[in-house]
Formats: sequence, structure tokens, C-alpha cells
Amino acid sequence: MRPPTFFPSKLGRALAVAALALGVLATPAMAGIAPEEANSANAESIRTAYWVMLIVVVMIGLVLLGALLAAFRRFRDGGAPERPRQLTAGRGVAAKATAGLSVVAAAIFVFGVAMTGGARSVEADENAEAIDIRAVGMQWLWRYEYPVQESGASPGIATVFSYQDLVVPADTTVNIDLTSVDVLHRWFVPALGGQLTAVPGETSEMSFRAEEEGVFEGRSTEFSGTSYPAMRTRVRVVSQAAYDQYLEDLEADLAAGRQAVAPEAPAAEEDQGA
Amino acid sequence: MTPPPTIAERRPELVTRELPRQRAAWTEAATSADHKAVAKLYLGTSLTFLAIAAILFALTRLQLIVPDSTIIVPEVFNRLNTAANATFVIFAAIPFVLGLIGYIVPLQIGARGTALPRLGQVSYWLYAAGAFVFYASFLYTVPEVALSPLPPLSDDFFSPSNAVDAWIAGVGLAVLGFVCFAVNLVATLNSLRAPGMAWRRAPVLAWAARAIGYTLLVIGPAMLAALAMLTVDRQFDGVFFNPGQGGEPLVFMHLSWIFFAGCHAILIVAACAVISEIVPTFSRKPLFSHTAVTGSLVAIAALGVLAWMQNMYAEPVPDGFAFFAMAAAVFMLVPVGLLFFVWTATMWNGAIAAKAPIGLSIAAAIALVLGLGGQLATAVIPVGLQLEHTAAGHQDTVMVMVGFTLAAFAALHYWLPKISGRTVSEGPAKAASALILGGSLLFALTMFFAGVDGQPVDVFRYYEDDGVSTLNLFASIGAFAVTIGVLVELANLARSHTSGREVGHDPWGGSTLEWFALSPPPAHNFDAVPDVRSAEPLRDIRDAIAAREAAYVPPAPPPPEPRPPSFAEPEPNPPGEQPAPVGDPDPDAKPPVS
Repeated sequence: MRPPTFFPSKLGRALAVAALALGVLATPAMAGIAPEEANSANAESIRTAYWVMLIVVVMIGLVLLGALLAAFRRFRDGGAPERPRQLTAGRGVAAKATAGLSVVAAAIFVFGVAMTGGARSVEADENAEAIDIRAVGMQWLWRYEYPVQESGASPGIATVFSYQDLVVPADTTVNIDLTSVDVLHRWFVPALGGQLTAVPGETSEMSFRAEEEGVFEGRSTEFSGTSYPAMRTRVRVVSQAAYDQYLEDLEADLAAGRQAVAPEAPAAEEDQGA
Repeated sequence: MTPPPTIAERRPELVTRELPRQRAAWTEAATSADHKAVAKLYLGTSLTFLAIAAILFALTRLQLIVPDSTIIVPEVFNRLNTAANATFVIFAAIPFVLGLIGYIVPLQIGARGTALPRLGQVSYWLYAAGAFVFYASFLYTVPEVALSPLPPLSDDFFSPSNAVDAWIAGVGLAVLGFVCFAVNLVATLNSLRAPGMAWRRAPVLAWAARAIGYTLLVIGPAMLAALAMLTVDRQFDGVFFNPGQGGEPLVFMHLSWIFFAGCHAILIVAACAVISEIVPTFSRKPLFSHTAVTGSLVAIAALGVLAWMQNMYAEPVPDGFAFFAMAAAVFMLVPVGLLFFVWTATMWNGAIAAKAPIGLSIAAAIALVLGLGGQLATAVIPVGLQLEHTAAGHQDTVMVMVGFTLAAFAALHYWLPKISGRTVSEGPAKAASALILGGSLLFALTMFFAGVDGQPVDVFRYYEDDGVSTLNLFASIGAFAVTIGVLVELANLARSHTSGREVGHDPWGGSTLEWFALSPPPAHNFDAVPDVRSAEPLRDIRDAIAAREAAYVPPAPPPPEPRPPSFAEPEPNPPGEQPAPVGDPDPDAKPPVS
């Protein structure tokens, strides 16, 4: 029988080398693991859940795998008798293990439920007005319709819209109503929140409140046909003044464009993106 | 008190009315309804498709070595990707599981065949026809659907060519075959177990087969229904999934995820069952808790199917349903943790023979921990909202598939001596498992980082600005290592058929009934089926023989005793005379004097 050292010296050396390698690689690895910095409360709670679960899963994995590998290393070809003691579980051992694991699973479930609300939307803020944006997915770009009605336009038809880039003011609740005119698409801007699928004929809702100004990249994560990797989007978070100015400019541009193309055409025929 | 006998009494069990006709070996293999012949077809075909899937996977990674890549045009990349997904799941992994349990489980439960042998045979040919139809699309247009043809993208407006029809027909035929197989499997398990084999004594793989059979009976029809509705939509202007006419595209997504989540669970159950069979045999100890393992396998199958919506957190699904899916997915920790606990406890204080099957099992367990750990993390809704459908959230599936593949190779090293009567060489297996595990770790880690940086799955291109170029380069290197490892090991397995060492009926000292049959087993499997008194009948038989040998006292040389008179024999010679020579007569001997 081999002396019952838990870690043979060879393994100890290997562990030391691994620890050294980990120390050297820690910085780039952390850069790889860390997601894009959050710029909204939703994204913040998603980040929290991500880090907590990363640590929990690594700990569970280390325990399960460490025990298994230790048992394998220690008892393989150890000169033990051909027929070792035929030990099996006594009554209740499996039940105790089940109970312990169930407690961990239940804790993770409760944690998940607690974090979900904050990840999907933000609490309504009575003091400030919310902006309702309608986002329409189409192969392979996004069209954003802003809550501005041109005087004289028929109700329900957006007259101020942009493609690819969404401009929103900072520190204001933005409600996104997501839909699609052709196939399934998924809207995902990691800095502002989680993923949401645009389903044709339905409206999916989410909301966020961007904290800082900046430009945030997003991509579709649902396969939507041949040119699917090209389906990207960008959210520009600007100050309230810049936002108002942007809408004004956009409205003027669109009106001028309409005038140039078809002086008498009604606004409804603008829908040419699909 | 004497223990009940473990070797069966004589029972008239074989009836034949005529001698079977002799046919050519290949005719016999292709037309026999014997479960072993059908299972060999399943195994051979599925391993061929595993090689094809590995090559397709390497081709897709070839495109992603460099940013802004134009090596493969987008349509072709999407087709290769679609073919790789369907080939691995539908035409390689699930049929491999069916082939393995189709061969081994009837032997394990002491059956002389299956309950509905023709249905088992039909199931193989449906699967083969499905694979043929799918691959025939390489002659015209291969579908571009990624994993599953989700409407509206797959309806006749957005996919007017016949490519999606090839997916529907190919996968539909194969799934119909799997359902037929499951009917036969469940009937066999319920009606043909050896005398004394109550369910609590049924071997682990038989329990896994039971769980897999019932799972297929649930998820197979769901997929067939979805495909039938999609066919109606495509061919007959149906409205099942057409949102403009009251249809609902998400229904297809639900049914499709029920099927693929079930497939995922089946592969986990199969991998864990194989490990649970191999670990006790090679530790020379019984399984620490048979009940815990069989219960865990059933729980994984059930929870895996119930958690189908964990892939749909981003869809507009009400919170209650998402919580239900999260609960099922998170509680998967319990059976998986129990399995690891039992494997560890089984090896503890054992005398582990470090052979290829247990080495590959340990490699599979490493991959499964990573895969199932990732699955646990993404099951939590906020984490899922961030990681699912990106390359990061995809890596848990990848590692589970790698774990399954390694467990499949472990199973072949363990059971091929039963199937072909020859052992598989261990050296190439070591190299292959190192390549597969190392390569997949490199691939999964780098693609996890790329996914956290925002790279989605199924993309044919990324840009220099995305900052994931180096990661993708290393991921491709890892992917090529995995492909080479898979091909090396498949070649090693194929080689064993001609160059393997011939072994007897029980090369490993196994404790279940398949090791009681000859290697390879005869058509009727067993001459006599033993009575089963525990979960390890073969160990009982060995113990009984050992006890009999220990109790055996060589008797003193018997005193010369006059033999009783018999009508058939002549009168015994009177004492003092030479007995008549028996056998080869000595030519020099003189004839006895009368």
C-alpha cells in the first residue's frame, strides 16, 4: 500500500507550476472574462449575477472534479489488493448528499429569481418622463422610430426614424418596444442590458436607463439568414440637449428628403427599408 | 441458511423448427433483425458521421482563423455550419447512443433478443434514409438554418428553395427511426429481463436506456409534430407559424427546443451511464450507490427536457415560465453532483486499474464538469440573458458534446471486446484523448472570452475592430486538435477489428450479464440465462464458484468398487484379468485370452 499522502510530490510540483502560470496569465485572463462595463442598472445586475455565478460554479466544479481526480490519482495501481473492501453506501448517505446539493441548488434558484427583475427592466421613475422607442428588426438592420409626431401626419405612423444607430438621452428611462417585419432577430447591447428577441407580429418590451454618455455596440445573436453577422447596431447615449437637437435635425432632414423625392407623397410611403 | 442458487436450473428455452439457411455475411448483417446486427449498423454509421461532423467543424473554423475572412463564401459557411450541427446531433451522437444500448442492453438484462426486432431494424433504415436524404441535398442546395429551421426564416417566403425541405425530411425520417427504436427498447426492457432482475437490480446502462427510451418517446413526437406543421406551412400555405394570419412562430421554437434539450439530456445520461459502468469495474469495487446513480440518470433526463425554456430567456416568455425552466435547469446540479460523489466514493479505497476506458472516462468527467457548470451558470436568468446565444454561452454545450464524445470512446474501449472479440489499442487512445481534451479546452476558453466580448454563435465573419482575432486564431487551433484527435481515435477503433488482441468473454472482470455471453455473442446471446439475485449477477456467479472451490476437499482415492451391472455393458471382467483396452488399441498388445 502506498503511503497515504494526499498530494504526491509530482502533483505538488505540477500545482506550483500551474499556480505560477495562473499568476502570469491572470491579467489577460481577467481581461478576457470581464464583460463590457455596464452603463445601466439592468446591465449592472446582470454583471453581478455573472460574477457571483462564475465564482459559485468554479467552486462547485473544483470540489466535484478535485475529489474525483484526487481519488483517481491516489488509488490507481497503488498496489492495493486485487479485491479491495467492497464498500457501498449505507442507508441515508445518498439522501444526505441529495439534501445538501438541493440546498445549494435552491439557493442558486432564489438568487436567480431575485436578480431577474432588475435585469429585465428598470423601476418607473415618477419624476422624469420616459421615452418610448419602437425598434423594428429587418434583414439585416434595425430601424428605430422616435416618439415624435410631425404635424399633419396620420397617427400611428412614425415620421422620425433612424437606421442602425439609436440615439437616446442619458439618465432617462427608455422603453424599447421590439418587433420584426420579417424573421426572428435578437437585440443585444451588452452595456445596456440583456438580450431580447424581436418576434414578427408581436411586441417584446424592455427598458433601461443609461448612466453615462458614450457609444455602445450591439449585435443580433439570432441566426437570421445569410448576412446575419452584418446585423449590428449602435446606441449613442447623449445629453438631453443633444438628443433634442438630434431629433430636430433628423426631422428636418427627413422632411427635406421627402420633399426632394416625392413632393406630394404621404408619409406612409417612407417604409422602404424592408 | 444457504443462499439461493445463482446458476439457473435447467429450463427449456430454445426451440427451433428448422436449421437457418446460410447466407452471405454481408446479407446477414444488412437484413438480420437481430439486435446485435442492427446495433452494429447503427454504430458503424454513426461513427462515420462523427468523422464527417468533425471535418465539417474544422472547415467552419478554417473560415474563422482570420478576421474579415473570405476563404469560404457566406452561404457555404452557413451550409457547412448547418450540416455540422445536424450531422453531430442527429446522425452521429443520438444514433451512437442507440447503437450502444441496442447492442449491450439486451445482453445486460439477459435477453435473447428484443421484443419487437423488426421495429428495431426498421428504425435503423429510417435513420439511414434520413441521413441519405439530408446528404443528397449536397447535390442541389444544403439548408442554411444553423441548428434548427425556425420559422419565419424557414418558411417558403424566406427560404423558397428545397433546402429546408431536405432538412425537414432528413431529420424527420431519422427522428421517426429513433421513436421506433425507443418503442422496441421500452418493450424489451419491460418484458424480457432475466428472471430475478427486478428494476432495482437492473444495470446502470439498462436504467439509462429506460430513461432514454421514454425521453425519446416524448421529444421525438414533439419534433415530428413541429416538422409536420412546418411542412404544411411550406407546401400548402399553412398558417401554423405565420404571424400575419394568426400563427405563432415561437411555437416551433418551443417544440424544437423540447427536442434539442431532450437530445442534450440524452447525451448527458448516456455519458454518465457509461462512466458509472466503467468506474466500478476498473476500481474493482461495486458502485457506491446503485440507487443514487440510477435515480440521478432518470432525474437528468426528466429535468433536461423540462428545462427546455432555459434556451428562451431572451424570447418574450412570461416570467413564471422562465422561472420554471430555471428551477429545472438549476436543480440538475443535484443529480450531477450525486453522480460525481458516487464515482469518487467508488474509486476511493479501490484498486484502480489505469486502463484506457477509465482514463477516457476521467477525461469525459472533466469535460462534463466544465459543460454542466457552464450550463448551471447560464441557467440563472440574468446570466443567460447575457451569455446565451453568444460564443460564451455556447461553450457549455460544446464541452458537454466533448464529454459525450470522450465517454463514447471510453464505451467503445470497454465494450468493443464484447462486440468484436478484440481489444482496442491504448497508445493512440491516450494521444487522441489528450488532443481532444486539450484542444477543446483551448477552443472553449478562447471562444468563451470572445463571446464575453460579444461574438455571437453561427457567424461566418468577425472584423478586425472586434478585438477577437487572436482568440479566434487559438480557438481554430484548438478545434483542429479536436478534429485530429477524433479522427485518430476513430482510426484506432477501426484498426482494432483486424489487429486487436483476441480476448475471452470477460476481459475486464465486469459484473453485469453481458460479460456472461461469449465474445462476440452468438445469435441467441446465452445458452443458459442465470437467475439474478443482485445488481451484479456475474460477481455473484464468480463468488459462488470461488466458494465452491474453497469448499472443495479433494476426495481420497476411491476404493475399488464393483461397478453395478448394466444391460448395455458386458459383464465386468473377473478380478485378475486385464480390462479390455479402450480407444486406440496397442498394436503390440496380445488379445486377451478367452
